[in-house]
Amino acid sequence: MQLVVNILVLASIYALIACGYVLIYRVSRVLNLAHGELMMLGAYLVLATASLFDQHPALALAAAVFLSLVSGGLVYVFLMRKMTGEMVLAAILTTVALGIFIKGMVVLIWSAQQQYPAQALGVSNPSLSIGVASISLWSAALVGVTASTYASLFVFLRFGRWGMRMRAAGQNPLLAAQRGINLHGIYALAWCLSTLTGACAGILMALDSGFTVNMPVIGLKAFPAALVGGLDSLGGALLGALIVASAEVLLIYYVDPLLSDVVPFLVLIAMLIVRPWGLFGTREELDRV
Amino acid sequence: MTMLRVETIEVVYKRVITAVQGVTLAVGERQIVALLGTNGAGKTTTLRAISGFLGLDDARITEGSITFNGHRLDNRPPHQIAARGLTLVPEREKVFPNLTVAENLMAPVPHGGGDQRRQAERVYHFFPRLAELRNRVGGLLSGGERQMLAIASALMCRPKVLLIDELSLGLAPIVVDDLKRRLVAIRDELGISILLVEQSAAVALEIADYAYVMENGRVVFDGDRSRLAGHKDVQEFYLGGTGSARRSYRDVKQYRRSRRWYG
Amino acid sequence: MFRPTPRASGYFRTTYAADAALVQTRTEKIFLLLFLIALAVLPFAAGPFILDLACQFLLASIGALSLMLLTGYAGQISLGHAGLIAAGAFTTGILARETGAPFWVTLPASALTGIVLGFLFGLPSLRLRGLYLAVSTLALHFIVVYLGGEYETKRGFSTGIVIEPPSFGGIALRDGRAWYFVLLAAAAACLLVCVNLLRSRSGRAWLAIHARETVAEALGIGIARYKLLAFVISSAMTSVAGCLFAYYRGFVSIEAFDLFLSIQYVAMIIIGGMGSLLGAILGAAFVVVFPYLIENAIRLLPNAQRLAGDIFAVNYAAFGVVMILFLLFEPLGLVGIWRRIQNYFLLWPFKQRPLAGGRT
Repeated sequence: MQLVVNILVLASIYALIACGYVLIYRVSRVLNLAHGELMMLGAYLVLATASLFDQHPALALAAAVFLSLVSGGLVYVFLMRKMTGEMVLAAILTTVALGIFIKGMVVLIWSAQQQYPAQALGVSNPSLSIGVASISLWSAALVGVTASTYASLFVFLRFGRWGMRMRAAGQNPLLAAQRGINLHGIYALAWCLSTLTGACAGILMALDSGFTVNMPVIGLKAFPAALVGGLDSLGGALLGALIVASAEVLLIYYVDPLLSDVVPFLVLIAMLIVRPWGLFGTREELDRV
Repeated sequence: MTMLRVETIEVVYKRVITAVQGVTLAVGERQIVALLGTNGAGKTTTLRAISGFLGLDDARITEGSITFNGHRLDNRPPHQIAARGLTLVPEREKVFPNLTVAENLMAPVPHGGGDQRRQAERVYHFFPRLAELRNRVGGLLSGGERQMLAIASALMCRPKVLLIDELSLGLAPIVVDDLKRRLVAIRDELGISILLVEQSAAVALEIADYAYVMENGRVVFDGDRSRLAGHKDVQEFYLGGTGSARRSYRDVKQYRRSRRWYG
Repeated sequence: MFRPTPRASGYFRTTYAADAALVQTRTEKIFLLLFLIALAVLPFAAGPFILDLACQFLLASIGALSLMLLTGYAGQISLGHAGLIAAGAFTTGILARETGAPFWVTLPASALTGIVLGFLFGLPSLRLRGLYLAVSTLALHFIVVYLGGEYETKRGFSTGIVIEPPSFGGIALRDGRAWYFVLLAAAAACLLVCVNLLRSRSGRAWLAIHARETVAEALGIGIARYKLLAFVISSAMTSVAGCLFAYYRGFVSIEAFDLFLSIQYVAMIIIGGMGSLLGAILGAAFVVVFPYLIENAIRLLPNAQRLAGDIFAVNYAAFGVVMILFLLFEPLGLVGIWRRIQNYFLLWPFKQRPLAGGRT
């Protein structure tokens, strides 16, 4: 039972992070390898806002989330905007470089120690019990946030006018531009949303158990979830997260705890060999890159 | 009255290759204008210059101007040009493959706003076939249906001028005839202008009010339909010859044209 | 493709031997000779710090050259190069530690590991391209590093494996100068292999695959064969670099081979300039020297004391910025800058090379 809860929590983490990869990839065909670092930035922003809004944890969290959204937009406007239309490799490497830069900067500003934003905010993390299993408050919150994020993203992309335009821009950017869709606006929106969801994941994880500068590894481990489901499919990311999380939790439990860091990548390789475009991805994607 | 005016533009690729030189053309209100020429004549480049897609190929309009109802359009980004009311139907990749027909029509941002659902009904009226296929994904349509959808979704932008690149490319003559009739109907009912880029002069001259012939990046000949259709060279090179008088294309091409057209 | 840069006055060759020669003109010969003398004199003129830096550079340049072969020429992206270096280093470490194998056993063994791994790394490339390939090599990097870590913990070497220096005929290789010449020879051999591969059939095949795979296939180039060949050769050379690295450091630990090392190698070929062997070497030099430059620059700052503890972070951030700057503003890298300077003098007083002839 506890195993099921653990799988659920880990799957929610991966899913919430993975949807950021999917959003950006789907719209602009860029793989954002700085996603883990942007996620960590969100957690650090909580530290900053916690000291700013001393007695109001909710306000501090809201401010941190908003700041992450803004930082995603800034990344697009000042960096990735210049990479539109460049080679895929160049764009990916730019995000890698961005990731290194962010990592260096946060260490400079906040030092490399383990941080506990929950303490800084003055909020507790009680353990809730469901039957025989138990789940911490913030993990439960994370599951809830993931569910509502996916629900709203799904509605937005399927029925929203701008969601439809995002899908259109992802499929045929030139045509979209000719049909009056402002591509830069769409791309910036994708970066904002992606950073927002990533930061939410980072913040909730940090509130749950603290974090260090090695947090981006989790971001990287969530990527296989996105790819297993199909890089351009949101529903796929959800299922992919579940698959990767189950594999990881079960293997750690029954085989070897050291496997934790490599299971997602083993799953990734298995998927790449069997069905590279993912469970729900579009097959022609492969030929486009 | 002239709406779109292209004035002696020169387009240079990668700062060295001049693709189009001194091209001037005008599209009036409620006019169908054709731009003819063989491959590499500069038609598509001209169309891209108008629709703002040059920047992607590292090309620039280095001289001349493009104005639309008095607004300068040269070297502006595509979505701004679209916002002025010029909409392009591209040669390839003309629909969003994973969106349904209905979604393909709803995605465009209309020029000047307005109710998209009502506009969609009007568009379905021109292309009843699309109404039947409403929920089919764009990538699964046939070539003719795709061209219809492309024109339809361009109409959703509520354009003042519709720019169509290669209407007849890869389509059966019967489909092309059908599309031509619909274009005339669209022009008459919506009161818009159409700039048609074509390789097949036979197709274009049937519906165009006015036509320009391009060659080697220049406009070498222009006139209204009857003048062009009656012209000896156009007949010989674009309308498929005049019986026994037809000569080997290669032998005479450069020599005769340069004598007659460049003086 | 490797082709000597056309000189301003053009080609004047009358024999096939002249056409195939690597060194074309007398001026080039003189400069090459001077350069070689400089390389030979360097260890005797420089202090231990510079010598260590030079050795690091030589090691890095082997890795950078092999990655350039793979990415810059054959067009196959690899984000897992640190994994291959780790594989070479660990093969050496494990063999030396467990069986006491000497240098002449571990080096070929490392190369063999590289070949096997290159084959494995290369297999996904038969189906995947671009981004997907990059991700698969990234995943393989994590797997190799995991296996290394697993070995370390299981055998109780959690702090790393200590390796005795290699010995030739009973004389142990400990001296920095001796190491310098060994590494110089290795790097030079690697460069020669690359140059000659690139002007042979396989080099042309790689370029064709890089430019457009379908067309290359239509022209009768065996895509699978040449892709795998590129992976195998590149990773064999990288593993050898890993082996030398292990001996040079005398110590192997998995911490040295994190993702950042892979990124550093990719940065070398970007900063140096894609599609140029000279670029790989320049890039390697830049990336090796860069941290020391930053360190010295920080010392000049007024509040140096405060920053001193965070030198690692400053390095990280600055490295990211430099990579971004190169990607955004000088995609041709250091080689691009170098060629522009060269062209400036060659073409003076003209500004641009004509479109036809010569490479621009």
